Amino acid sequence: MTDGLNLSRSIADEMIAHLRAGRPNEGCGLLAGEDALVTKVIRMTNAAASPMRYALDPKEQFSAYRLIEDGGLSLAGVFHSHTHTEAYPSPTDVRLASEDVPYVIVSLAEDPPVIRAFRIVKANWTDETGEIVEVPVVIDG
Amino acid sequence: MAVQVRIPTVFRKYTADQATVEVAGGTIADVIDQLEASHPGLKEQLMTAEGELHRFVNVYVNDEDARYLEKLETKVSEGDTVSLLPSVAGGSS
Repeated sequence: MTDGLNLSRSIADEMIAHLRAGRPNEGCGLLAGEDALVTKVIRMTNAAASPMRYALDPKEQFSAYRLIEDGGLSLAGVFHSHTHTEAYPSPTDVRLASEDVPYVIVSLAEDPPVIRAFRIVKANWTDETGEIVEVPVVIDG
Repeated sequence: MAVQVRIPTVFRKYTADQATVEVAGGTIADVIDQLEASHPGLKEQLMTAEGELHRFVNVYVNDEDARYLEKLETKVSEGDTVSLLPSVAGGSS
């Protein structure tokens, strides 16, 4: 299990641009790479289309997972924005956390946006509560 | 050629970290039973106590969502790929 994420400034900027473009709704996407190094941002549609919720469309998620695998990469993280709240997992983020990868939360309430990442540790993936463990995000450049 | 089952990260603790597991053909229900036989504990993650597929699990057979085929009765043949995808969602409150 990786302990954090390494991304370039351009990867971080691409992620932020996608999330800003999604306003007033929350934006979301996937990060792909090798181990902790993120090399690709996959912009996703927020199927919930809400300023307070995000959800991946399963069909789009399936295509994205195929893209990651075909590129010889692995899923490095899931990112989404909090448009007006802090970059920290909400109870909803914890309740709905599924994939065992870092969850990157970008708060657009501040300028520049705050980027933090967390692992949500649950005994069973459908548990409603779990432990929030922050992991480092290193942005180079 | 067997059926390839793609395992998402969340379930890899049941498959000794393998991202792909091979099983024989049958229905999706048969595939899940085979997964349970070789990787105990996995079925409980995928199914409800009532024997339904968990609503937060999406199952694709090749490029098609099993929800729009025959769900658990969807037939899977040698050479097919079954992909398990957990729902990914959250929010700010």
